[in-house]
Amino acid sequence: MTEYYTRMGDGKRILMTKEAIMDDLQAGTADAADMAGIPTLDANDLEHIAEIIMCQDRVVGVTPGNEVVLSYDIGQLDFTGDNGNSGNGVDMGRLEAALLHERAIGADTFELAHSDYSIKPVKPIISMEMQTMEEIQAEIIAPFFYGAMPNQGLYYAPDGPYGNPADLMREFKIEESMQQSELASQHVTRDIEYVAPRLQAAGSDGFNFDTTGSAGDADCVGTLYGVKKLRELCPEAYIQVGFAGESIMGIHGMIEFEGQVVAGMYPHQYVKLAEKAGANVCGTVCNTNTSKSLAFNIARAVTFTKEAVKTSGIPIHADMGMGVGGIPMCETPPIDAVSRASKAMVEIAGVDGV
Amino acid sequence: MAFENETKKLQDALISCKVPDIAKAVDEAKAAGMPADEIINTLGAAMSDVGVLFERGKLFLPHVLSAAAGMKNAMATLDDELKAGAGAGGAKGVAVMGTVEGDVHDIGKSICSTMLQCAGFEVHDLGRDVPLPNFVEECKNGCNFCGMSALMTTTMTGMKTVIDNLSKEGVRDKVTVMVGGAPVTQGYADKIGADIYGESASETTKKASAVASD
Repeated sequence: MTEYYTRMGDGKRILMTKEAIMDDLQAGTADAADMAGIPTLDANDLEHIAEIIMCQDRVVGVTPGNEVVLSYDIGQLDFTGDNGNSGNGVDMGRLEAALLHERAIGADTFELAHSDYSIKPVKPIISMEMQTMEEIQAEIIAPFFYGAMPNQGLYYAPDGPYGNPADLMREFKIEESMQQSELASQHVTRDIEYVAPRLQAAGSDGFNFDTTGSAGDADCVGTLYGVKKLRELCPEAYIQVGFAGESIMGIHGMIEFEGQVVAGMYPHQYVKLAEKAGANVCGTVCNTNTSKSLAFNIARAVTFTKEAVKTSGIPIHADMGMGVGGIPMCETPPIDAVSRASKAMVEIAGVDGV
Repeated sequence: MAFENETKKLQDALISCKVPDIAKAVDEAKAAGMPADEIINTLGAAMSDVGVLFERGKLFLPHVLSAAAGMKNAMATLDDELKAGAGAGGAKGVAVMGTVEGDVHDIGKSICSTMLQCAGFEVHDLGRDVPLPNFVEECKNGCNFCGMSALMTTTMTGMKTVIDNLSKEGVRDKVTVMVGGAPVTQGYADKIGADIYGESASETTKKASAVASD
């Protein structure tokens, strides 16, 4: 029986028969459908993904005319960051990084980023970030945003002023944990209101909120209220909201955005929140299971994303990278897996960009 | 089946994750004559169901911890009977838990600590960014389960260091090493010599309980 080179979710190279690939595709789509209460991919979709996986070309792509937008996150950190931070350890200035991505790497959009890539540390150096934004805008032609993670975790002890929910909950202080989450969430909103309009004033084309909800549902709510505020203050801003997982973690469990509890929402639901807050683009996320095959992970990710594309009124740029979008979780994800996952996202999920 | 009604009430109360409801169900079961260890075992089984519901996104962390708080209160309420009863005994095992040095992700690890506690383990949760020698120290001081979590490919390497140091200190054969976290796989666990790989908190707890029962 013919076996095909493919990967596991940790990047390990394996051989699988078509039968095994189909089994994993079915298991992956069924898992996503079961969790989110959404339709599975149909037989044609699964056969299409199987063909993509079984293709023995090293790199696969879409047919000319079907290309999608390539938007970026983490700014220059994909070069200057360390290997564990999705980077390559090639130090360079932020202007050089921006022009390199625009002119040599084919980025359709790019962004300026703080090396800690979080909202909180930007606040004390906002003037420097504004200055750099202005300088780069004078050189770059591609849309150039400012990117940061809301990263509510930085607002909890020991890094911030609020009690840490993980510590409080370990002591069964559940109400106090929820209260601290709410306070930290409000602080995130205030910091977004401080930082983002100033960068707009310096010439930024917009803002990318990356890994929204990484610290849980309160992080998500704080960010969405921040997005709403930014939209009010800067109607022209191009706002991207990228999420952190296929489901919003219920660390608080009951916190709401405009009357809706956000905990437990899946991509087809949370895209509507991003839209309501005033985002232009939503980055949906699906986490890779390192113990499962590429087939399982791609089918799962495409199932979540396809439903999100169906329900969303704004463009979807699926987050594709190390450990997300079906791509293996390893520091340099293999290009065969990256291109296959991306092709599946475009051709089956119907995303507007990655 | 004896105490069928009480068993159902205990299960429903635990899954409701409401501390007062759990306490009420425990009091009623106790008043009906249900043995203490049976009450705890029923709650423990329901706690596994809570873990599964959490992993499927139907319940959230505060729910899990409310259920755990209810379980903890039940154990305190029944402490005298448990100590006196035939099924009574000390903790199943003593586990040190932590997220390895350099890594600050600890949600999954915290849930696992809670589930191990509910399953009858004594848990020493060291938190996150735990210096690697601290795991070894806890094992030298009596922990016979060592649970390590990592969410980054760059920090998971610390797990092997701990395992190697447990061997150097001559305690490796007295400790069951458990590893978990998004980048960790069964293959990685086998490669570094860990005893248990848990894809989820409930799987880890099940495997640890099985080892403890051997």
